[in-house]
Amino acid sequence: MMCERCGKRPATTYVKRTINGQTTEWHLCAECAAAEGVGLFGGFGFGVGDLFGGFLTQPALRSAGDAVRCATCGKSFRDIAESGQVGCPDCYTTFYEQLRPSVQRIHGKTVHAGKTALTGTKESRIKEEIEKLKKELQEAIERQDYETCAVLRDKIKELEDGRHDG
Amino acid sequence: MMDKWYRTVGKHGDVVMSTRIRLARNLEHRPFPRFLSKEQRQEIVEAVKDAAAAISGLPLHFVDVATLPERERLALVERHLISFELANAPEGSGLLLSEDERVSVMINEEDHVRIQVMSAGLDLEGAYALADQVDSALGEKLHFAYDERLGFLTACPTNLGTGMRASLMLHLPALEEQGAIQTLENTVSKLGLTIRGSYGEGTRPHGALYQMSNQVTLGISEKAAIENLNGIAVQIMKQEISMRQRLFTQPEFEDHAWRSLGVLQTARILTYEEALRFLSTVRIAAAGGVLPSPTIETVTALMSDIQPGCLMTAAGEDMPPQIRDRRRAAMVRAALGRAE
Ligand SMILES: [Zn+2]
Ligand SMILES: [Zn+2]
Repeated sequence: MMCERCGKRPATTYVKRTINGQTTEWHLCAECAAAEGVGLFGGFGFGVGDLFGGFLTQPALRSAGDAVRCATCGKSFRDIAESGQVGCPDCYTTFYEQLRPSVQRIHGKTVHAGKTALTGTKESRIKEEIEKLKKELQEAIERQDYETCAVLRDKIKELEDGRHDG
Repeated sequence: MMDKWYRTVGKHGDVVMSTRIRLARNLEHRPFPRFLSKEQRQEIVEAVKDAAAAISGLPLHFVDVATLPERERLALVERHLISFELANAPEGSGLLLSEDERVSVMINEEDHVRIQVMSAGLDLEGAYALADQVDSALGEKLHFAYDERLGFLTACPTNLGTGMRASLMLHLPALEEQGAIQTLENTVSKLGLTIRGSYGEGTRPHGALYQMSNQVTLGISEKAAIENLNGIAVQIMKQEISMRQRLFTQPEFEDHAWRSLGVLQTARILTYEEALRFLSTVRIAAAGGVLPSPTIETVTALMSDIQPGCLMTAAGEDMPPQIRDRRRAAMVRAALGRAE
């Protein structure tokens, strides 16, 4: 069999891509495979459709409504089910109950174990808060409002101490 | 100058070519990249660049993939630094890269942020530690989308949880020769891993290179996933080595190794596939002492350098395949020395 891309060299590589249930198959020569970017490590992720496009086959989900929409990206659950694509991180919270069976099917589990984002996020939020208070403190000093200064200093100290304890 | 990681040989390098850790992350309250306009994507690129600039002790420089010639984009794909998708549609996306190219951050591929760390040889713990550090530093500034139940929230639900894909590139010519790969595939899939040839599915891959990765990301910690992958890799390594020992006692293999080296040292035209096939044989023969030279380092560097995009990028010009094949043969002869 000859390469389906250049037609010049014998096909040595079989490439199969599934995107939303649409499977395309190619027989390529080595050069064309490389040119198509079928590198040593292959794709970085897995095609969304591989596991998620399977939504459409579930009749209960095909009738999914448009009544509720994600506040961040505006997608309804029907949009997600039809495209096999989640719109934004907040979709997972908005449509948690509807998405959970698919998540279970993919991973076998539905509860995260591992690194949490909370440590980093909390830390950075405290830092932001301290920076904000320091700015207010500067303004208070400038207008010689020493009462406010004292309150702000206490607050900053409290946050900084808390940060170092944690 | 610092040598690029992919031209070096690491721990258990005779079987494990490289280790890769990839973390998928997204910014809070923003649609995933495929639903963003070019301007919105650009905003995210800038935010990630700013956050990366604040990481102390790890300078990452920005590569505007959209402005690169096609051959250089292909070379980035071949070196596993960007995906084929990003190489093809680079507008409003980008790449941050450390000098030794071990650390890279893809911006606006499928997810807003994809942190990747590569290591030569078997180094899951080391690569994860570095990826974790970059993740925490970026997360400090960027506030990654996270849910207590589902973990890190990713564009594709297959990455929910840790968002971590850990992969090993294995060189398994002896197991392949024994026809043991199919059994291996079945076994590792029961253990939550996948193994596949370096060229798509269902075919005998070039150079006997196989990628093994964790499949599940939700409900398993990074540490457990890595330990699982590592444990199975060690088993496979043992099997491959014992198969090689058996192979090395056969006079036919010694002959085959010398012939392979002979072709590489004398050929005037070498396709990528052909070169990789012979290099694969020479690599295990060199590692096992069947051939006195070249070193496994030389062979490993060549396996990377002879890829079409890398070859054209090094030459600084595009070349049709026929010219490339001649250039490749010359490059291999120069590296391995011509047989007298
Ligand atoms: Zn072709
Ligand atoms: Zn949404």
